[in-house]
Amino acid sequence: MPWVLLGLVALAGIGLYLLVYTAAQASLQAERSGAVPPQPGTEEAMTDLLRQIRPASVQSFGVGLVSGIGSVMLIIFAASHVGTEFGWGTLRTLLAHGAGRATFLGAKLLSIAGFGVLFIFVGVVAATIGSYLATTIAGGDTSGVDPGAISTAAARGYYTFLPYMALAALIAVVSRSAGAGIAAGLIVYFAEGLVTSLLVQLNRDFANIVNYGLSRNASALTRVAVTTSASPETNFAALPGEGQAAIVLAAYTALFVALAYWRLRTRDITLG
Amino acid sequence: MPQDVVLQTSGLTKRFGELIAVDHLDLHVNRGEVVGLLGPNGAGKSTTIGMVLGLVAPTAGSAQVLGHDVATHREKALAGVGAMLEVTSFYPYLSGRDNLVAVALLRGHGALARVDPVLTRIGLAPRGGSTFRTYSLGMRQRLGIASTLLGDPALVILDEPANGLDPAGQREIRELIRELAKEGRGVLLASHLLHEVEQVCDRVIVIKKGRLIASGTIAEVAHRGNYYEISVPDAGRASSALRALPGVKEIRVAGSTLEVVAEAGRGAELNRALASAGIYASALVPRTSSLEDVFLELTESESDAAAAS
Repeated sequence: MPWVLLGLVALAGIGLYLLVYTAAQASLQAERSGAVPPQPGTEEAMTDLLRQIRPASVQSFGVGLVSGIGSVMLIIFAASHVGTEFGWGTLRTLLAHGAGRATFLGAKLLSIAGFGVLFIFVGVVAATIGSYLATTIAGGDTSGVDPGAISTAAARGYYTFLPYMALAALIAVVSRSAGAGIAAGLIVYFAEGLVTSLLVQLNRDFANIVNYGLSRNASALTRVAVTTSASPETNFAALPGEGQAAIVLAAYTALFVALAYWRLRTRDITLG
Repeated sequence: MPQDVVLQTSGLTKRFGELIAVDHLDLHVNRGEVVGLLGPNGAGKSTTIGMVLGLVAPTAGSAQVLGHDVATHREKALAGVGAMLEVTSFYPYLSGRDNLVAVALLRGHGALARVDPVLTRIGLAPRGGSTFRTYSLGMRQRLGIASTLLGDPALVILDEPANGLDPAGQREIRELIRELAKEGRGVLLASHLLHEVEQVCDRVIVIKKGRLIASGTIAEVAHRGNYYEISVPDAGRASSALRALPGVKEIRVAGSTLEVVAEAGRGAELNRALASAGIYASALVPRTSSLEDVFLELTESESDAAAAS
């Protein structure tokens, strides 16, 4: 699975850039040739899109792309990485041969975290390559790559993965199943984001509450990275501050890890 | 805990809600000894092994391996244990050899150097490079047994090691178990194959619903079922005449035939007692039982009682 996920993010990183370029070009050409009736603002939007896929904007567009895919893929990876040990029965074998439960979980979480680093690295490199390819084909400006900004944005994106990976691992430990860990992890990921966006619309009190949730704090960290480069968000002020976001995400990660350890430590490892 | 004892459980108990899986179980395994752990399905054998290995937390009681309490000093206790669980589980995408390497890395203390010798000893060397998922059930069992030997253990726990092995393989495993005992290791063998247990075990422990119901050497346990079949003209009088004899444990009457449960070598004494009472037996046949007979008798009586209730 790790190689498959790395292959997918590499393909996605390059492929989506080319796809966006192709779609934007097709839209522009269709409008210019009269094949579709001209819509006000379309040309500007497509031109802006082509500008965003330039290497100078990898830290916003490319990293955002990889982060979006990464959250889902790393939830799948984390749940599988832990859950399959129950499914295969290898956890029993390892423990029976003297492995400690804390050692086992620690090794698992470290390898998940390490894979996350590799994943985002591969994804960002692929996105940068995709950006160069698409911009070269478009005849655009390929200069202005900012490795520092890309690294910072990637680090922020990676940081937002941590609680989701820890949550997926926790659910896999509790359910003793990779499938349940994946399903529950993805449900929490998507549902919390959806509910949060609805509650934020209702009133400020709800917004204050959901500002201690995962998705708002993850957005706060990643959108800071985005807004520093190009596109400020109109609702940016409603998001928690960077410091709070970092602390809240760290607290969730620590909580999920602690719960996973507690459950594994107290659980009987039986056949069923 | 005496020096020779490698495993000792005291009052070991496990409850799963209302169900008592293991009930105040006391057992021990000495160095150089093969002890059979017998019981019908659901008797608590695997739960007992789980508690000995620290996989299952006891509700009460303790298990000590080489003097170390498994609950409080699990790592030290398990350093001297090699265990093969009932369902042999390894990483399916790794080769048999690589799976052993993974276990050896946990074991330390030169276990890596034992990977290849152990593969050879267990007869898996030619297929050591094949992935675990391609292994037959018998090969998986062999790999499981191989993994128990990596740490040079003082106590080897084998849960149904002969599952899936052909007769030749079963014999090899029996020979291996005897070799392990000769090397001074204690072996706890949980098995349904009673003839296998009879051939390799020095002692057996029979558990039922988590309780110890019989233990002793194979001879002691198997001979619990020995009896004399005596044909007499008047079974009632004969029964009365024999009942008072020392050494007679039980008398069952079936028509004109008595089944007298008594120690071996008491036939002449029984005959004499009958003759003294003026009863002349037309036949007196000593019937010996196997471990299987005794096991079935012990476990079926429980099943019957359960069915009746």
